[in-house]
Amino acid sequence: MEGGMHAWQGLTAAGAPDAGMSFFTVGSRPEELIALAWTLEEGSRKFYASIAGTLADNEAAKLFTDLASAEGHHKSTLLGLYRDIAKVEPGPDFPASVIAADEDRMEGGVKVSEALVWAKGRDDRGLLEMSMALETDSYDLYIKMGRRVKGENAKEVFGRLVVEEKAHLGRMAAQLDKQL
Amino acid sequence: MSIADYFKPVDTMTPDEVRAFLDRHKPDVYNLVDVRQPKEYERGHIPGSRLIPVAELPGRLAELDPKKPTIAY
Repeated sequence: MEGGMHAWQGLTAAGAPDAGMSFFTVGSRPEELIALAWTLEEGSRKFYASIAGTLADNEAAKLFTDLASAEGHHKSTLLGLYRDIAKVEPGPDFPASVIAADEDRMEGGVKVSEALVWAKGRDDRGLLEMSMALETDSYDLYIKMGRRVKGENAKEVFGRLVVEEKAHLGRMAAQLDKQL
Repeated sequence: MSIADYFKPVDTMTPDEVRAFLDRHKPDVYNLVDVRQPKEYERGHIPGSRLIPVAELPGRLAELDPKKPTIAY
């Protein structure tokens, strides 16, 4: 690519190659990656649901409510994949039964509690920009997870999550444009 | 890699062309490689890119699917 990274003005993720996975003891088993993704989706859902009520702009508030709902759908998709691959029903102790999960983490590997403290008093634009950074890291992570998992079904599910995270980014970018 | 490989023509793409390409294609149909150093990658990289520092490329080419187009930066 001409000009290398200095010339790039598109989406940019941050962190080491295994960022997002390094907060957990995660191997290459699809069950572990699914449990990790589920944990991060739940963290993001909690974050988006919390800040939706704090936004001044109704459209932005609706966007974050929709995003919280979408993360909930992702969790269901991941549970379906878990059932398919592990051949067992995820119990009430899921995902702790699969990985040593930190329930306070969300997409981007950020702590939900810290993100909520940071978000207090921020304007809509600041929240949108921060959330876009999180979704970009999540998009990056799911591409890498899709590469790591074995099996066509698992790859297809992570591929679908990649497409959906990218769609979220598109909606956030459109909303941010309105704020500028 | 032989000395002849250094003289093979390589197509270049502008960042806009790369962005359009990535928008049009799913991540599993191309190789996207960041050939910079790990610290540079950590500071910011194109989502989904693999980090293979240029000095390690000759020994890690097997990680790239030769059937897919490769974009390096």
